[in-house]
Amino acid sequence: MTRTANALFLQAFELLSPGKYVAIARTSFRHRLEERSVLMGRVAFYGVLLMVFSKVWQTVFAAQTEAGSAAPAAAFGDYVWYLVVTEWIVLSQPSVHMDVQGDMQSGDIAHQLSRPVSYVGSKLAEALGDLALRLVVMGAAGLVFGRLFADCWPEPERLALAALVGLLSSLVMLLCLLSIGLCSFWLHDCMPVYMVWQKLVFVFGGLMLPLSIYPDWLQSIARATPFAAMLYGPGRLVIGEGDAPTALALQLIGWGVLAALVTFLVERRALRRLVIDGG
Amino acid sequence: MSKSKLLGGTRFAIALVSTTVRASFALRHAFWMSAAFMLINNLLFFSTWWILLGRFQHVQGWTLPDIMCLFGISCTGYGVAVVLAGGLFDLARKVHDGELDTWLTQPKSVLVQALGSRTHMSGWGDLASGIGLLALSGAVSWSSLPLLAIGVACACATFVACGVAAHSLAFWLGRTHELSRAIFEFTVTFSLYPPSLFGPGLKWLLFIVLPAGFVSYLPVELLRAPDVRTLLACVTGTAAYFGAALWLFHRGLRRYASGSRFYARV
Repeated sequence: MTRTANALFLQAFELLSPGKYVAIARTSFRHRLEERSVLMGRVAFYGVLLMVFSKVWQTVFAAQTEAGSAAPAAAFGDYVWYLVVTEWIVLSQPSVHMDVQGDMQSGDIAHQLSRPVSYVGSKLAEALGDLALRLVVMGAAGLVFGRLFADCWPEPERLALAALVGLLSSLVMLLCLLSIGLCSFWLHDCMPVYMVWQKLVFVFGGLMLPLSIYPDWLQSIARATPFAAMLYGPGRLVIGEGDAPTALALQLIGWGVLAALVTFLVERRALRRLVIDGG
Repeated sequence: MSKSKLLGGTRFAIALVSTTVRASFALRHAFWMSAAFMLINNLLFFSTWWILLGRFQHVQGWTLPDIMCLFGISCTGYGVAVVLAGGLFDLARKVHDGELDTWLTQPKSVLVQALGSRTHMSGWGDLASGIGLLALSGAVSWSSLPLLAIGVACACATFVACGVAAHSLAFWLGRTHELSRAIFEFTVTFSLYPPSLFGPGLKWLLFIVLPAGFVSYLPVELLRAPDVRTLLACVTGTAAYFGAALWLFHRGLRRYASGSRFYARV
């Protein structure tokens, strides 16, 4: 227990002098900026998903109006902007879990551990640089796609709030991905864990459909998970039916602290296992 | 190609794939984990449609059983494709890094060796979820089984052909791993949505550039409203797309440059 507390203290101390991590993040940002085709591929995928789902909503709204049934609570444009925000958060995530898995599988981790930086800290910094770039590029693309498919703009204050909370949410998701990557120390392939986590985010987070249209029993389950705060929370803000943004941000900070603690503990166990196994 | 050469090639492909698949069974724990997680993954993804259609009943005439059928065909075809031709996902990288060298020295087809060199254990999860959804859709009966088999075969062949065509771009454009994967992913994405969502402007794209039409739309039509014209369109379209992909790969292979290079790992 005392050892864990000491290690936590050292980690916190390292974070207070973050010069080398800032340098890693900056280098990663520049490096990813050079990979334009990857960025463009992501942007195109974002556009295709928004196009497909805006068509789904268009069809649903047209059918509801034709049949004279009760239309969904929000307007068509609101649902498109909801998608713009949720997909922006999800598609901006770098594949840090695959990087960690790659290091473990190729054996690169052995010489990375000898560097005077924390392995997880450097991976996190690298991923943050990547995330920062993606958030900017995808955010700009999202504005264009949103206007194109929704045919209207949301209220600027709502959009700004959703973007701010979305940033927090992206950080929490990144920490979760890092923990998933560290699972490859036990499983060798973290992809199955990642895919299930990703789909839980999709369903319980309300990636494509707002939780408000879910059946009541599923809504109450989803709201009890961190996924709802990560996606449904920021998504709701843009359509103006969200919780108080401060409460949502505090909720996300809470989940973020928990995710950071889990990442730290998993890292410790993973590295101990690596040393015992001989790398 | 002579008959004996074709037979020899087929026998080699079967032996290669069965060896790769048997090797994947040997890692029993990883095998079951990958397959089970993929099954859960697909069912969770499908739940979006279940929620949407539970609330709005249909999307342009497509009800939950229809969407189950669409997902079922697509998942089954994809599962078979990645189990039998798992090397598909690395093809562009192999072309770019010059890793086809070892296969070029062998007397068998380079493409067959490249595709059959890997298998994806998670494909069994796709296969299981696909078969499960097809069974639950109620669209499959004993009499429609032959049509279903043709539909799944077309879906699988088109997935492989789409992957080969997309990854063959690396012969001309160099580093295209991401682009090639994106083209393949777009095809998978479009194959999971009802075609009636997309206007006529997008139809040509969905049958030619991203062949989602042959992957799922036509095979599903075969089950929903069996018709000789649909059957012919499905089979000839798939054959034409497959032939075009093979042609593209072999044209590209003529331009292939060896990967004799030195690497430095820092």
